[in-house]
Amino acid sequence: MRKSKSLTPLFFLLPALILMVPFVIYPVFKTVYLSFFLDDKFVGLENYKNVLLSPDIVNLDRFPTNSPPWGALIHNVVWIAIHLPATIFLGLGIALLLRGKEIKGASIIKSIVFLGMVIPMIVGGLIIRFLFEEGAGVIPAIFKALGIEGLAITWTAYPKTALFAAILGSIWIWTGFSMLMYSAGLASIPKDYYEAALIDGANRFQIFKNVTWPLLKPITIVVVAMTLLWDLKIFDVVYVATGGGPGGASMVLALQMWDYFARALNYNYAAVVAVLLTTLTLIPALWLIRRRE
Amino acid sequence: MGEVKLLGVWKKFEDVTAVKDITLEVKDGEFMILLGPSGCGKTTTLRMISGLEEPTKGQIYIGEKLVADPEKGIFVPPKDRDIAMVFQSYALYPHMTVYDNIAFPLKLRKISKQEIDIRVKEVAEMLGLTELLKRKPRELSGGQRQRVALGRAIIRRPHVFLMDEPLSNLDAKLRVRMRAELKKLQRQLGVTTIYVTHDQVEAMTMGDKIAVMNAGVLQQVGTPEEIYNRPANMFVAGFIGSPPMNFLNGTLTEGGFVDFGPFKLRLLKDQFALLQEKGYVGKNLVLGIRPEDIYDGSLAQERASENNMTRATVEIVENLGGERIVYLSAEDISFTAKFPPESKVKEGQKIEIVFDMKKIHIFDKNTKKAIF
Amino acid sequence: MNIPKYKLKEFIISNSIAWILGVIWLIPFVGVLMASIRPYREIVGGWWHFSPFTITLKNFVGAFNHPMFPIGEGLRNSLIIAIPSTITPLLVAALAAYAFARYSFPVKHYLFAFIVFLMALPQQMTIVPLYFLLRNFHLLNKFQGLILVHSAWGLAWIIFFMRNYFSMLPTDVEEAARIDGASDFKIFYKIVLPMALPGLISAAILQFTWVWSDFFLALVFLQNPEKYVATQRLPLLRGQYFVDWGILTAASIMVMLVPLLVYTLFQKYYISGMIGWSTEK
Repeated sequence: MRKSKSLTPLFFLLPALILMVPFVIYPVFKTVYLSFFLDDKFVGLENYKNVLLSPDIVNLDRFPTNSPPWGALIHNVVWIAIHLPATIFLGLGIALLLRGKEIKGASIIKSIVFLGMVIPMIVGGLIIRFLFEEGAGVIPAIFKALGIEGLAITWTAYPKTALFAAILGSIWIWTGFSMLMYSAGLASIPKDYYEAALIDGANRFQIFKNVTWPLLKPITIVVVAMTLLWDLKIFDVVYVATGGGPGGASMVLALQMWDYFARALNYNYAAVVAVLLTTLTLIPALWLIRRRE
Repeated sequence: MGEVKLLGVWKKFEDVTAVKDITLEVKDGEFMILLGPSGCGKTTTLRMISGLEEPTKGQIYIGEKLVADPEKGIFVPPKDRDIAMVFQSYALYPHMTVYDNIAFPLKLRKISKQEIDIRVKEVAEMLGLTELLKRKPRELSGGQRQRVALGRAIIRRPHVFLMDEPLSNLDAKLRVRMRAELKKLQRQLGVTTIYVTHDQVEAMTMGDKIAVMNAGVLQQVGTPEEIYNRPANMFVAGFIGSPPMNFLNGTLTEGGFVDFGPFKLRLLKDQFALLQEKGYVGKNLVLGIRPEDIYDGSLAQERASENNMTRATVEIVENLGGERIVYLSAEDISFTAKFPPESKVKEGQKIEIVFDMKKIHIFDKNTKKAIF
Repeated sequence: MNIPKYKLKEFIISNSIAWILGVIWLIPFVGVLMASIRPYREIVGGWWHFSPFTITLKNFVGAFNHPMFPIGEGLRNSLIIAIPSTITPLLVAALAAYAFARYSFPVKHYLFAFIVFLMALPQQMTIVPLYFLLRNFHLLNKFQGLILVHSAWGLAWIIFFMRNYFSMLPTDVEEAARIDGASDFKIFYKIVLPMALPGLISAAILQFTWVWSDFFLALVFLQNPEKYVATQRLPLLRGQYFVDWGILTAASIMVMLVPLLVYTLFQKYYISGMIGWSTEK
């Protein structure tokens, strides 16, 4: 480490600062500032109160007994509750299954699962819409074949199914991430551990519980945090698959912010939702930073 | 021209003091070894001479020039110090060919292409690298990389070479060969060299002088013979030599004996006279003797007398072929001896051993310094 | 491979599960492909009905030259934006990352923690003020404006990624260069950058695919249909009275082809970038 009284490090940092100050740092603070104003008038926490009490964000009259809309915040929470365990379970499962040499074409399967991560999310969202469309899509057709007429519909068009279509589709998109991370994690576990456990007489489940899973903990932390961040920021998929509808039944925070900004032209409410969203993302972000240190 | 001088140099990192008050002079053309265990401050000292670290206090001279003096605010950066350095990892530029690696220091000095070419080829010839000039470092063996690193240092024609454990990444056989080659090269070029190592064999075989360091403090500077035969303190005595010197705690009696409890040894007249004069009679001191200066009694009867022998039990014998390392004990005192292959001692046997009293060292028990 | 008898059952079961999963994950893509290469009337009742089976490129041509939102123009715009939006932040971030990796300076640790915080930041947190900022500087609806925003936005993660990369490089090579007489900046571009090339490639590939795949920022800052990037045009391509899946899927394929190609060609760098930027400290 060079200790430098000179200005050298500043020269290295300067271009980055020139770009970041106006285009990232200033807007962040300005957004916080805007969230306390309404039409150039300081209103304190008034905006926050209005936004948080609005059924757009939390709709406890309908949640959980009626079908969505439940409010964007609750939709994000539901999203996390389904998507996070599902992708972790599937990603880890596939990584474990494809780890050994026994599976023919394991690397092809891995590449297929990972494709969801490579394609633009807007394309992912479009494919979700296609999948759940009655007539052209596979999923309604499957339910039709199974005789479940209630689900043999265009999922994205009905309040009771739109949110879940988007969530299920996002599992298809994102599982590749946890699979990739767990594959890398599994590959970095030295074989000795397994051999030692085998000689100690452990069965497969015991080996997983006592060797693999604990050693994968650092990976799990990263996967959980990154998935939480992704789930909170989800935008493109919903925008194109359902547009947040019908009637807000699949609205999420990031899209709600856009809605306030571009459709309602209420920049202050948009700023409030942005601040809320950022506050929520800080939880996994700070957790991740702390766990790594 | 190429002498190096350190005057009262200190280096403190945040809360550790890596180097404490070192004063060291390296003469022009001398091969100076900085020897010590890891973490003793030898590499930090070298890095301060190179200019990669700034001293916290003290002055460093290279040639006539004061290159570092924090009190006067003087700090000459490495490129203006006229030194070259060889790193432990060789630190070759991985994306450049051997040719470009060697030429790099000259290119930075805006030397003409033709002259660079002439000098690179000359150096390559000298080091046997001519065939390898177009290769990248990753295509070279460890020994070849080592030569490239040397080449990059030599081409500068610096006044001082600094080397940080340059041989430690080579395998044992190559290391022995490179030791000799490096020494020869240094003689041939006549450039002052400061060489850091933790390997006492390298130090003994290569150095004109050795500076032994421990815990940031310079322990002793001297020729290899001086360091081996007249260690300044218990650290130097224990660090050099394998197996290490035996240290026996005893009391000096009025009769000129050192009493260890289970047995006594009688000092030679002048040895006793010196200790008497310094007032050690009746006091505790430490007697040091190297394993090779303890003899198998059955093979050294002509040297034995009641004053320099004792009985001891053979605990373990390690047969190294050319010699035997024998671990001995006399009650609660244990020590190591090196016997010739003719020695037939067996484990568990009680034998007579003879101490060569001319070769002993006496250390003050408190200061750990050698009295003789 | 010879499979011992006692393992055969297990071998068949695990292979079947693996391949069933693989097929499930592939089916949506197969559907997209089927819909794109066949006329609308053949797929409206389900692309898995294979008779009649007519192959046509009409959908691709139709999407490429769409009368309202031609994808061809969108692809061109995407490329015009993605290339400078990759190179600029890469160079700028590499410089900054080197300062974080090799120098100590006041407030370094706070500054770096802030950079990590920015990595997690939702883009929503910046767009309202940015919208007005770009408008005031007449950069709204201009490629330059979006390029600046993308470049600035990419900096945080590339700084983080490259700092990790630089920290793993051995310092003694740089020290050797210093002793050989190279200045700090020369060390950076003659020694460090070439040594960090794999890291730079990984960062470039990810940044390029992410900018290419971006939808949100384009949606905010490009409002003139001629300027729309490819991702932005996709949702607008549905037909007037019905959703024309033929055009939509053909357009989707063209839009995702670029990231897929990048992924296929640079798989090693893509994967190590993916793993590197999220795990290594």
